[in-house]
Amino acid sequence: MAETQVRKYGYNIPISEKTLQVPWEEKVRIIEEVKSDFRFKEYLFGCLNCGVCTASCPSNRFFDYSPREIVQRFLENDIDVLYDMMHEYIWACSQCFTCWIRCPFVNNPGGLVIIMREVAVRNAFEATKDLLKPYGRVLLKVMTTGNQLSADMLQPDFFPDWGPKMLDNMENLRAKRMAIPFDVGKSVKTAWEVSLQTAIEMYQIWRETGIFEMLEKLDPNLYNVIMDIVEENEERWEELMEEMEEAEA
Amino acid sequence: MGHKSKSPYLMYPEKEPFPILNKHSHYDHLFEEMYELEEKGEILVFRITEEYRPKYVYTRTGRIKVIPTNKLWHHKSCGQCGNIPGYPASIFWFMNKFGLDYLNEPHQTSCTAWNYHGSGTSNPVALAAVWLRNMHQAWKTGYYPLIHCGTSFGSYKETREQLIFNKELREAVKPILKKLGRLTEDGRIVIPQEIVHYSEWVHAMRDEIADLYEKEGKPKGIDVSNVRVAIHNACHTWKMIADDYPYDPEVYNGQRPAASTAVIKRLGAQVVDYSTWYDCCGFGFRHILTEREFTRSFAIQRKLKVIAEEIKADVMITHDTGCTTTFEKNQWIGKAHGMYYPIAVMSDVMFSALACGAHPFKVVQLYWNCSNYEPLLEKMGITNWRELKKEWEDAVRYISELEKQGKYDELLEFFKEYDLYEPYSKTSDGFKLRKSATSDLPLFKS
Repeated sequence: MAETQVRKYGYNIPISEKTLQVPWEEKVRIIEEVKSDFRFKEYLFGCLNCGVCTASCPSNRFFDYSPREIVQRFLENDIDVLYDMMHEYIWACSQCFTCWIRCPFVNNPGGLVIIMREVAVRNAFEATKDLLKPYGRVLLKVMTTGNQLSADMLQPDFFPDWGPKMLDNMENLRAKRMAIPFDVGKSVKTAWEVSLQTAIEMYQIWRETGIFEMLEKLDPNLYNVIMDIVEENEERWEELMEEMEEAEA
Repeated sequence: MGHKSKSPYLMYPEKEPFPILNKHSHYDHLFEEMYELEEKGEILVFRITEEYRPKYVYTRTGRIKVIPTNKLWHHKSCGQCGNIPGYPASIFWFMNKFGLDYLNEPHQTSCTAWNYHGSGTSNPVALAAVWLRNMHQAWKTGYYPLIHCGTSFGSYKETREQLIFNKELREAVKPILKKLGRLTEDGRIVIPQEIVHYSEWVHAMRDEIADLYEKEGKPKGIDVSNVRVAIHNACHTWKMIADDYPYDPEVYNGQRPAASTAVIKRLGAQVVDYSTWYDCCGFGFRHILTEREFTRSFAIQRKLKVIAEEIKADVMITHDTGCTTTFEKNQWIGKAHGMYYPIAVMSDVMFSALACGAHPFKVVQLYWNCSNYEPLLEKMGITNWRELKKEWEDAVRYISELEKQGKYDELLEFFKEYDLYEPYSKTSDGFKLRKSATSDLPLFKS
């Protein structure tokens, strides 16, 4: 294809070959899935093209990413570009919502991005799978315990750029956590101790709202590890309930 | 105080407290809708009654926001408890100092919104169910939820707006709550009158904090009057649902968020303005973990460098989990590019606790802090910080030895003296609940 025929957007980003090869109907289906989200009409109103969103966007300073571009492409209903953006472009957004507070139309480009991300995950885009691979540790923690971060996740090996004080932090970690003189953060594997009942309720929420299903499509191996822990905890809970019933009887 | 609405949840003052740019807020209308849904019997509003000792602040629309100050249900932050333990410890320390009643329960899940903003692996129904489940738990105990994390606070504000204005979301989440046993007996959804961030509590309690500084901080030789402070407001507290966060005539005449700045000013420290006050920190949710070159570049170039060059501040004050982590962890790496701008970084409540005489290591847990906090302690007059650090290290060593030797009875005896939370750590089902999904310390397994 001649250079002049390649459609580009944003900072001279060509629409990828992969996107061009996807059947038109499929691309329309995906974009319609984004637009049918109940939040869409609350996040997009109009656009003056003033660019204040992009001018104040932190991600724009370091990535080829512009919230104005997202708003404009939705207003133009540019299916190819929007579909292409959903693979990598949107993942540059920092979700700070500076664009939202600054927009004279009260558009919420960060909100549009989160809908696009959700649809990309739900449809298990290959690029999304690759992009979220390094994020697996957080998913494992949040899906099984409801905590997204714990002391044992901050190993110095993972964060050499955080400097020598991190090494001190991790030394004798268990004793340090126990030495917090309030009942917060005493656990190493979770941010705080989460009751089994709370975890069980959260698993029910994940089931009822299709989050486990979403995860299975995104990363089957991670899904299996998560479900092992979930099922083990559910068995513990059932045993506990039986014990309580027997005790009451 | 003047009412402009039939809803008891929507109040405005008789006179505008400061110039108001946005007088027709869609968000403020939520409080009328909320009342109507309550009248129809669809929801139950968890009201802030006198027992919660309410205080009053303004939002940027001039609305009067009610802040409960007592009998609080602590909705903890996973990022704070996991990575900045001195953050919640400082909040609890103040609660104990003021003799306030509170619950610190294991029956709380995090909001899961950090994950959602980072990875998109959730959806509005799941987020709403998690939020309402936690709110129901708080309501059941009779303690009012105080949200520690800025992202939880922002996400909950947004979820509440979506829920109040969207019948379809209410209809989707209600059957889930019913299965969980998280509706009222007559089948209503429990929604709090106000969603309250801890920084709003600190803001509302700034006079009491300043009094404590006079009574207990100053006699210890602590003096913050020469400390130069840069304020960083967290995006998810004030940019997310911007019409629901405190503004005050004493802070830039109501044209910038007031929480944090007001308490620092009340303590007598010097709040100094800088040109990139508006910028975020660069945390980015996923970015701090997997796009770290972006996070550190933004934090250094747009904030740390600017603060060092423009105002030479001694400390950067934050009021959220992600910003605190981003700024304190991403300084050392700047040395690699000749861009090292060392500055102490901590939250408003941690700085306030230090000013009021809290132990820098045992309570404020500066041991975990990777920023250059030592010069700040010297400047504040906490010149014995080396001895205090050794005191903390000795306690850690002692705990470690007892655990290695399996002397759990002695360890429990030690904690009776060492821990500061008795009797404040009560939960809704007794002092210690030990049927946990997550317990991993031998001490707490029995």
